[in-house]
Amino acid sequence: MRRKTPYPYWFVAPAAIIFTVLFTIPTVTSLYFALTRWDLFSQTFIGFDNFVQFFREPGLTRGLINTVIFAGLTSGLKTVLGLLLAVLLTAGIFAQGFLRAVVFFPVLVSTIGVGLTFTELMHPTDGAINMGLSFFGIDGPGWLTNPDLALISVALVDVWRGVGLATLIYIAGLASISPEYYEAARMDGATRLQQYWRVTVPLVRPATTTVILLSLIGGMRLFDLIWAMTRGGPGFSSDVLASVIYKQYQAGFYGLSTAGNVILFILIGVLVMPLVYWLNRREVDL
Amino acid sequence: MARVELHDIRKSFGKVEVIHGIDLTIEDGEFCVFVGPSGCGKSTLLRIISGLEEQTSGRIEIDGRDVGNLEPVERDIAMVFQSYALYPHLTVGENIGFGLSLARKPKAEIAEAVNRVAETLQLGHLLDRRPKELSGGQRQRVAIGRAIVRDPKVFLFDEPLSNLDAALRSQMRIELTDLHAQLGSTMIYVTHDQVEAMTMADKIVVLKDGAIEQVGTPMELYDKPATPFVAGFIGSPKMNLFDGDVAAQKGCEVYGIRPEHIRLTDDGDWHGRVRLVERLGADTIVHAEMETFGPMIIRTDGQSELREGREIRAAPMPEREFRFGKS
Amino acid sequence: MKRRQYVIGITALAATFVIFVLPFIFILLNASKTSQDSAALDFSLPDRWVFFENLIAVVQARDYILLLAYWNSTLITVCSVALMVIFGAMVGYILQRRHSAWNKVIFGFVLAGLMIPPAVVPTIWLLQQIGLFKTIHGMILIQCAYGLSFSVLLFRQFIGTIPRDLDEAARIDGASPLQIFFRVILPLLKPVTVTVIVVQSITVFNDFTHPLYYLPGRENVTVQLTLYNFQSQFVSQMNLLFMNILLVTIPPLIVFLFFNRQIVAGMTAGAVKG
Repeated sequence: MRRKTPYPYWFVAPAAIIFTVLFTIPTVTSLYFALTRWDLFSQTFIGFDNFVQFFREPGLTRGLINTVIFAGLTSGLKTVLGLLLAVLLTAGIFAQGFLRAVVFFPVLVSTIGVGLTFTELMHPTDGAINMGLSFFGIDGPGWLTNPDLALISVALVDVWRGVGLATLIYIAGLASISPEYYEAARMDGATRLQQYWRVTVPLVRPATTTVILLSLIGGMRLFDLIWAMTRGGPGFSSDVLASVIYKQYQAGFYGLSTAGNVILFILIGVLVMPLVYWLNRREVDL
Repeated sequence: MARVELHDIRKSFGKVEVIHGIDLTIEDGEFCVFVGPSGCGKSTLLRIISGLEEQTSGRIEIDGRDVGNLEPVERDIAMVFQSYALYPHLTVGENIGFGLSLARKPKAEIAEAVNRVAETLQLGHLLDRRPKELSGGQRQRVAIGRAIVRDPKVFLFDEPLSNLDAALRSQMRIELTDLHAQLGSTMIYVTHDQVEAMTMADKIVVLKDGAIEQVGTPMELYDKPATPFVAGFIGSPKMNLFDGDVAAQKGCEVYGIRPEHIRLTDDGDWHGRVRLVERLGADTIVHAEMETFGPMIIRTDGQSELREGREIRAAPMPEREFRFGKS
Repeated sequence: MKRRQYVIGITALAATFVIFVLPFIFILLNASKTSQDSAALDFSLPDRWVFFENLIAVVQARDYILLLAYWNSTLITVCSVALMVIFGAMVGYILQRRHSAWNKVIFGFVLAGLMIPPAVVPTIWLLQQIGLFKTIHGMILIQCAYGLSFSVLLFRQFIGTIPRDLDEAARIDGASPLQIFFRVILPLLKPVTVTVIVVQSITVFNDFTHPLYYLPGRENVTVQLTLYNFQSQFVSQMNLLFMNILLVTIPPLIVFLFFNRQIVAGMTAGAVKG
């Protein structure tokens, strides 16, 4: 006879029930629904037709490509700028605490609020950004109205909004590097720049891993900012998978929308899993 | 009456058996010490008695009642942990009364019990403090108070003094001995320190590799160790033990002689040279290099004028030599 | 050296100010302007400061919908975060204290919850089946489900720092599993609980996507949804749009001022291998 454990598994039950019903079951059934033609009235099994359609219709394919571009661009910029800002904000400069707070605050602000504000700031004629540029004699572009630029503009706003988190993670990473490494490097005659490349960058690698993964996953899932700023437009030029999923849902193409969802999490799996493996493998063991 | 009986207790973690069938009886009111090197299973055995760990097989009886399948609280035991395990978010008073409040005792009754215990342990002025505001010795007392308040049949101590400094440790040894005399309850005490075992125990259980090596009073273990392991473990400095040729000459497998049972005398048969002298004041510990034996530790009086490099002659006291595994 | 740091500091301060603070000043200025004045979308000072008139106008707009939205958002946030804290801590506790093959399974689900985007249409279908679609309590449970993974990770990490001796002492004192958890463990989790509450509250309060899918209907409107809808409604009244943005920005600002440390702790948890 076994006595009762003080750590019974039923403690997991409330969370497990909520999670299973509202997350796991929809995720698993989506694999079936993605294979159906499904609208308000009926639901029929059609095999891989939805996926075929996804890769045939330029509007949908564009969303897939844009998702990868957007996620790559934002996570790249957040990683580089985040590390630079973190190095700057740990150098013991004037007003350091205030600057950290200012850089971080946008992370906490409503994405919709940020999106709407920047939509106005990026207005092609009246927007403050272009008016500022014209002051220097530069003719600012149509940030959100130019189809070649719209996605990148939104990505820049996403970097503005999210770089504070990357900075914060890097600051924590930098704080965990013992000053002795820098002292040792200086004894070996390393310059400031060499210290940065040979000591900081390798030793801050766990933070880099976190920043890249977080911003990559976040970037691929992003919906609200794009929806607040361009709704995927002009045309399909700034559509990403998340906005395609919403548009197909609104149009009543539930099967197609779900197929978009399945493609999104396959994409995340395909990009993130190898990355996790690769980044962890190259991690410096301290 | 609280007699603790263990019958063929075994414990395995996965495929590895760490306790190999222990039979032991601890009499009512006895202060019993489990002693042994780390990894010998003494803590695991204590945790099996407490009910925190479940035996793989065997019977545990407290007061003739089979408690092997009972929850700790149903066994009428209390335990003092090595880390004290005081609840950091509760005051001293709340810590001591926690078990009673779980049992839904009336507030007045709890307060009375807590005050009574605080009185005994001189904690009265600390009742509203939190554990982190206390010194090591005070925390130790609170941990003991939490055990006493429930008036258990058996007290279990898991290396309770090992986090204290040397001076406080010897003071707490005396306090615990006093407490035992005062309460008269059965106490089981785990330690790796043979001094604690010798000074406090009514009965010592020496454990090695998950099995009992020997059970007895402190002096029995000192005077009649059953095995070379016990001989080496009990007593300080350690008994000199020799195997191989030396033992063979003496007609046994292991020959042992305690440092305090060697006389330095000019007509001794043992020749050697002093390698190192440790002066403790009352005693002098001589580390010598002896012919045929090799390194040997000899204890002599504090006034000894011995120095490094001196030639010495020594002899064993009669009746104090130990021969293990006599053929 | 000192001088150089000072110069870098001033430059960084100026650049950061322009990049990160100006947009907020822009919001504040335009929220204080009249509608004609704000149509210019510039950084000029208001001709006439009408901050409070705008505030009242926004609150009164569309039959006080903003108040309803704040009530709904608060309700969803408070309830879902309360569930996340208790249920998440319980899972984190078991995950940290027990070691068996099940742990890997649970951990797999936790990681899946962090990475995999929810399948929205099947979720809507399921909510309809169990009668929770378009309901506030459905939304509460959804937010709880989506936030559990992160909460579990934070709690598990923190519980690792609580010595197991305390659980055992409580067990010896006669505490049941629930009593050990609620009377000994949970009170000791206070620092990480504050972190979870703050970080998750901001996340849930700012969430736009999920209410958009799962909570349509005027009576269920949330703060982020009203803000989004105001955009189309206030095309000629930028001042009111910015007043609304300002109102949505203030709660996180207040939380940030008070709980800066806990937010930082939560956001960087696990970033540095421990």
